[in-house]
Order: sequence, then C-alpha cells, then structure tokens
Amino acid sequence: MRSRYTIFGVHVILLAYTLLATLPILLVIMNSFKSRNAIFGSPLSPPNADTFSLIGYTKVLGKSHFVTYLLNSMIVTLGSMGLVLLFGAMAAWALTEYKFRGSTLLALFLSIGIMVPIRLGSVAIVAMMRQSGLNDTLTALVLVYVAQGLPMAIFILSEFIEQIPKDLRDAARCDGVPETRIFFEVIAPLLRPAIATVAVFTMVPVWNDLWFPLILTSSDSTHTITLGVQQFVGQYTTDWNSVLSALSLAILPIVVIYVIFSRQLIAGLTSGAVK
Amino acid sequence: MPRARLIGLMLLFLGPAVAVYTLFSIYPLLATISLSTYSTTDTGDHVFVGLANFTTLLTDEVWSKPFWNAFFNNFLLFCVHMVVQNPIGIALAGLLSLPALRFRATYRTLIFLPTMLSVVIIGFAWNLILSPLWGVAEGLLKAIGLGSWFAPWLGLPSTALVTLSLISVWQFIGIPMMLIYAALLNIPEELVDAARVDGLGQFRIFTHIKLPLILPTIGMVSILTFVGNFNAFDLIYAVKGALAGPNFASDILGTYFYRTFFGYQLQVGSPTMGATVATVMFLIILAGVCVYLFLVQRRMLRYTF
Amino acid sequence: MATVRIAKLNKSYGDAAILRDIDLSVDDGEFVVLVGPSGCGKSTLLRMIAGLDGVTSGDIFIGERRVNDLEPAHRKIAMVFQSYALYPHMNVKKNMTFGLKFSGMAQPEMDRRVAEAARMLRLEPLLERRPRDLSGGQRQRVAIGRAIVREPDVFLFDEPLSNLDAALRVSTRVEIAKLHRLLGATMIYVTHDQIEAMTLADRIVVMNHGLIAQVGKPLDLYYHPANLFVAGFIGSPAMNFFDASVAAKNATAVTISGPGVAAFDAAVKNFSGPVGAKIKIGVRPEHLLAEGGSGFKIAGAVELVERLGETSYAHVRATPEVALIAEIRGRDAPNAGDPIALSAHERDLHLFDERGERIAID
Repeated sequence: MRSRYTIFGVHVILLAYTLLATLPILLVIMNSFKSRNAIFGSPLSPPNADTFSLIGYTKVLGKSHFVTYLLNSMIVTLGSMGLVLLFGAMAAWALTEYKFRGSTLLALFLSIGIMVPIRLGSVAIVAMMRQSGLNDTLTALVLVYVAQGLPMAIFILSEFIEQIPKDLRDAARCDGVPETRIFFEVIAPLLRPAIATVAVFTMVPVWNDLWFPLILTSSDSTHTITLGVQQFVGQYTTDWNSVLSALSLAILPIVVIYVIFSRQLIAGLTSGAVK
Repeated sequence: MPRARLIGLMLLFLGPAVAVYTLFSIYPLLATISLSTYSTTDTGDHVFVGLANFTTLLTDEVWSKPFWNAFFNNFLLFCVHMVVQNPIGIALAGLLSLPALRFRATYRTLIFLPTMLSVVIIGFAWNLILSPLWGVAEGLLKAIGLGSWFAPWLGLPSTALVTLSLISVWQFIGIPMMLIYAALLNIPEELVDAARVDGLGQFRIFTHIKLPLILPTIGMVSILTFVGNFNAFDLIYAVKGALAGPNFASDILGTYFYRTFFGYQLQVGSPTMGATVATVMFLIILAGVCVYLFLVQRRMLRYTF
Repeated sequence: MATVRIAKLNKSYGDAAILRDIDLSVDDGEFVVLVGPSGCGKSTLLRMIAGLDGVTSGDIFIGERRVNDLEPAHRKIAMVFQSYALYPHMNVKKNMTFGLKFSGMAQPEMDRRVAEAARMLRLEPLLERRPRDLSGGQRQRVAIGRAIVREPDVFLFDEPLSNLDAALRVSTRVEIAKLHRLLGATMIYVTHDQIEAMTLADRIVVMNHGLIAQVGKPLDLYYHPANLFVAGFIGSPAMNFFDASVAAKNATAVTISGPGVAAFDAAVKNFSGPVGAKIKIGVRPEHLLAEGGSGFKIAGAVELVERLGETSYAHVRATPEVALIAEIRGRDAPNAGDPIALSAHERDLHLFDERGERIAID
C-alpha cells in the first residue's frame, strides 16, 4: 500500500510543475487586459474593474495587419495540412499495399525528411522560389510545409494502415470495387483517428514556424501570425500593453485548438504512433 | 494485377507526395550541398572551388571564430537539454503513470501546453518575465527570500545562453514526458504485478523494471533533441535577434547560418557560404543520426510485449 | 452455378512452396470443405480461387473459363471472410450494394436482391444499422448477405465461424447448410474445425504441408483414412497409434504384434512388405471396448479419467512407452489407478505402412 503522504507528495510535485508550465502564459494573458500602471504595479494580480483595459488590443489591431496575418496563417496551415493528409495518405496506402521492387527503398527515401530538417536546404529553396516567381507568396510556404510534413505523415499513416484488416480490401476486391475507389471509399474513411494525430503534428509546427515566413515572405500581405508578432513586438518593445496583447492574440488560437484536440493529440502521442 | 495498371496506380498514389517532397525537400538539400562547393565572383557568376569554402569556414579567423563559437554554444545548448530535460521528463512521466492517479489528464494537458506554442511567443514571454523592467521574476524571488539571486540573466554574456537553453527545456519538456509516458503505459500490467509479487516497491519497480524497458524511448528522445537543437534558430532570433547577443554569447549554428546567408549590418550575405554552413550543419546532424542508428539503437534491445 | 477445376496448381513465395501440384474438381452445386492444420495452405488455395493471391503455375477454371488472370470481380465469385470484413462506415444495406454499384446494376435490381437476401437471412430490421451496432452473429449474416446479392457462381467461405462463440457457431453452421440447400450453389469452405467440415461438406479436402492428403465424403475420411495424417486429423480425441510389426504373413492375412499389443491376425490380402516390416495400428478412442472386442487387445493401468458426463476419457498407460486414450460410455468409468483391458473389432482397426499409407483390411 502506498501511504497517503506519498500520494500527497506526488500531487504537490505535479501541481508545482503544472504551475511552472502555465503561469508564464497565464501572466502574459492576464496582464494584456490591464492598464499600463497595473501591469507594472501589480503584475501578479488579475485584472479588476479599476485596472481592466483593452488599450493594448485596440493598438495592436490598429497599428498592424493582425487580421491579415491571422488569415494568412490559417490559409497556409489548413492548406498544407490538407495536402499533407491527402498526399500522405495516398502514398502511405501505396507503400503498404502495393509491394514492388524498390518500395522499401522508396519508403527509406521518404523517411529521410523525418530526421533531416528541410531548413538546411533554405539557400536553394529561396533561389528556387525567386526563379519561379513564387517568392513572397503563400503558395511557396504551403509547398515547403507540405514537403516538410509529408515524411512524418506517411510514417504515421503507414503504421495505421497496416492495422486495418486486410480482409476489408480483399472484400472490396471481390465486390468489384476499382482500386482507386478502394482507397477513397473504403480505406480513407477509416483513417479518421490517425488523421487527427497527423493533423496536429502538421499544423502546430506550421502555425508556429518563424523561419520560412522570415526568409520567403517580405510584404505585410503575406506575413503569418508568428512572423507578424515577432516583427510587431520587435518594433514596439517599450509599449508593454501592445506587446502583451499581441502575444496573447497569438497564444489564444493555439490554446483554443489545443483544448479541442488535446485528447486526440495525446492519444496519438501515446498510442505509439511515433515509435 | 497487370504490370501497366500497377504502374499507373503507383504514379497516381505516390506521384504527388514523391514529387512535392523531392522538389522542395530533397532537391534543395542536394542543391545546397552542391552550392557549398561554389564561390560567387564579383560579376555574380558561380565558379567551382571544391572544398575551399569549408577550409575558409574552419580555418579563416573571420569565419572560423564565430563558427566555433556557435558550434560550442550549440553543443552547450544540447548538453543543457540532455542534463535537465531528460531527467525531469522521465520523473514527470513516472509520476504521471502511477496507477490510479487523479487529475492525470489535467496535469498532462497543462504541462504539454507550452510545447504547442510558438517558440517566438515563448521567447518573448520569458523575456518580459525575466526583464528587470517588469520585475516579475525579481518579485517572485524576493517573495521566497532569494531576492539577491536575481540578475538580468538574459542580458549577461555569462548566463544568456544557459537561460535561453532553460527556456527551451521549459517549453519542450512535454515531448520527452509524453513519449516516455507512452512507453511506460505500454509496459504490461502483469510485469509490474509480477515484480510486486516478487516484493519490489514502487520506486524499485521504476528503477529496476520500467527504466531499462524505456531506454529505447530515451534514446529516441535524445536524437530528436539533438536534431532539434542543432537546427534551432527561432528562440535565439526572437529573444536576441540575428546578432545573438550579448556579443554573440548566445550565437548558435542556426543564427550563424542566417547571418551568413542573409548578411547583417555591413556584412553582405553570401549564398555560397550560407550553403557551406548549412552543409556543415547537415553533416553534424547526419553524424548524430548515424551514431544513434548504428551505435545506440543497435545496442539497445527493443522489447516487444 | 458452375464447377471449379484446379489443375497442377502451385504457389510459392520465393523458395517457400505453399501449395504443390494441387488437383481438385468441384462439381456444380457441391459443398466442398478444405480442412487442415494452420499453415497447410487451405486459405491460400481459397484466396487463389478468389483471385486475391496470384498463381505461380497451374490453372484454375470456374465453369469453362480459365480465370488465372481475371480480377476477383470478374470471376463471378463471392467471399465471406473470417473477420466478416464489413465496411465499418456503411450501413447494412450499403454494405450489400456497395459492390453492385460498380457493376453498373440498376437500382431496382439492387433493391430486389437486397430485399431477397434480407428476407432469407432475417436482416430486414437491420438494414439501416452500422456494423458496430450489430452482434457477431448478425454481422456474419450480413457478410453472407453481401455474398448472396452478388448471385455468384461460387461462394467462398474463409473460416466464417471462427470468430463466433460456441453456441452461435452451431446455429450459424446449420444456417449455412440450409442456405446451401436453398441456393444450390457451389460452395468452397475453409475451416480448421473438423466438426464444421464433417457436418457441412459433401466432400472434404484434407490438406497438409501444401498437399492434398485425401479427398472424400466425410464418413469415408472417418472410416477409411488414406494415411496417418488424415487418420490423426479427423476424429476427436485423435486416433491412438501403436507401433507394431508384421510377425508372419500368408496370402490372406498377416500376424501383427507390437509392444503392449498382443499378437493378432488381420485379414490383409497379399501384403506387399516383408515379414518384420514396421507398421502402425490405429484405433479410435471410441472404438476401444472394455469387453467384446476381437483381435486387437491391449491392457494397462488408468492414469487419469476425464469425465464429460455421458462419456469419459480414460488415459491409459500400457507400457512406459505406450499410452492411449479410450472413450468409456455410461456411468461405469474406471478410476485412476485401476487396471484396464481393452479390445477392438477388426473392422475398427486401421493399419498403415512405413510410409504412413493405409493398408486395406478386408
């Protein structure tokens, strides 16, 4: 039997670490709703009737193209996620279903990207995008992120497809279902649990990325939220209201998505999808 | 299935993925490596120079001093992660996997939260918290009687890099915690029961039964950390800018690569030298992955249950 | 409806031969069961008939057509899988019509077929349900229904009952038998369960190590197993085997004796082997009698008795090397430690030569 004291101790440690993990984020969000004096006067207390202020938010939304950044981030994130899922699932199906000479080699080739960061090819990527006229477009970002996300997606989806009973595809073949339809109408609908995992694995790094927006986009109309916030905060370092509000605006969408998808994400992480 | 149809299906299913991946991931990587053997002349033409760029990078004082500085800083960044992140991650995973623990899901979700956020945001948030201007960190330390310990850690050359490393550990601790937690959950209940019947307590079950079984996961976490660290850029750039101050004290390979490629202040950017730095980073990461694949993973037994 | 003919069929993966020179003819409307231990190649044979696995060499004919190179969909077959393989994201009706859609069938015809199959299998109330809302037995019926609506020439069953619990297995077995009589279709059925094989089959094909060990009617296999393998495989508990040798022979009989087995004469005409040839005697547990047998006699001590109610199985040790199981009916089963003397009628004896082939007794 474990004693009550041990359990109590475990909770104290976990609670302490949970506070350490969340307090800084909470602090930023909390203070973004306060007036400048209150931010400095009592940083640790939540906003009350006297200290509540939205001045930071009005400034941010007035002085920057925040809505554009947010929209760009959504377009790039959803676009690359959709393509990664579609292309990744198709490739994973072909690799697990049709064994042919060189399929192992191809799988190996596709898995290089899991370990080798695509960032190292930046010099050539910038040159390519300039030559093809894709520089400073969201398309350029989507293409790079699809290439970045595919290896992991194919890996996770292959493991998942392996677990779908082979009888199902055999039954479809006996039923006379054409091969392409077997994938799109029998297998693809069954990938839903894995798709949630892959979606989170693809979306989060894309949404949070600073590097490629920094080197591939140059105008306000193509900046993503991460780059936009970085530049805004760099420009207005002394305007604490604006800085805290800008950070909060960048944090909130992710927190909302995380709260919605945390179960799938954690299930995906713990199901051994990334062994 | 007839051969022609099989080939048609392969093209249809594999074509898009292989095309995008090859064009925007593998080709740029190879092109970058190839570019590292060229130099730009005054007229803007590229001429083949063999390994001359590498010689310049590693021996010419103008290039080599910042390079080695960035390399050793990067190594320190990795060491801090290994020494701090893994033990805390294992400990948290161990506590979370205790049977019948209440609020398990809540702890797990909240501790993982920072991992989801952008490095940029995390960097700025800590920059504010540790700022002497705001005084939050100082105030907290005072409250527990350690006020005299406070220093503007991010601003001092001696502490900037370690502080940034710890911020990074703070953010990414969720990944080792989750992976190890998952590995711990995969250990069959009966094995633990058998150990209990044999008379082992919870702590010894953890150190003697579970820990050896999750070694492969720890190995994997280590290589993921290695790749992530030697490819890092965002945090330093967000908090310290491309110059990775103070006086390059927090410069790592990622920021050095950025400055080389795009230039900074009066220095003009050089694609070929940028490619050279990227190639060296690639070789470092490749070496790490090879060490992992051929030495670490080979020696570790993977247990299947 | 159609016949199925398999000629010199081989299947191998690299160097590993899965099936070797299989020859088999299935008559129109016949119910043939492929049975054998796991890994014997029975499922592979079925999958090759379906077109799911390729042919290494040899031919498969369904009706008059050579189907080696035809897609499964064009072979006019339907298959019922062990895991049922119902499409989890479609309701029962869509599961049944999904394949028909691709053959360009008109909606009224699809509806007619589904209605007929649903009536036959009592699926009418379930048509709108998803597979996960069905019990195991219902899923199995849907899988069969999906096969029926294709109106195939040949039904293929791959261990369709092995995921069902014992009670359901019996009732579904009966339903499949009724269905066969109703449809009169050619059916090929794979199982490892000999009770299923015995009860369902017009003919059983016993397979072992990629070869056909024997083809025959169920009772033929039981009473006249062609070799040691079939003798040991068919029947439960398995047949007892005793090492013995030919002590003497003449034109009409041989004298057999062996360790623990008293010498006896068996009416074997023109035994081809020499005197001294090693043979095996096989006797089923249910044919060992406590009294009244003739010829074969063996005595020993009861080591263990498994009592099942009406029958009991006595585990008997005759000599340190020779052990056997005898089925004792009624209430008077012996107890462990009791001495026991057993015998068998000559007609219940099976003799096998050194290669394991049956030696005919008159």
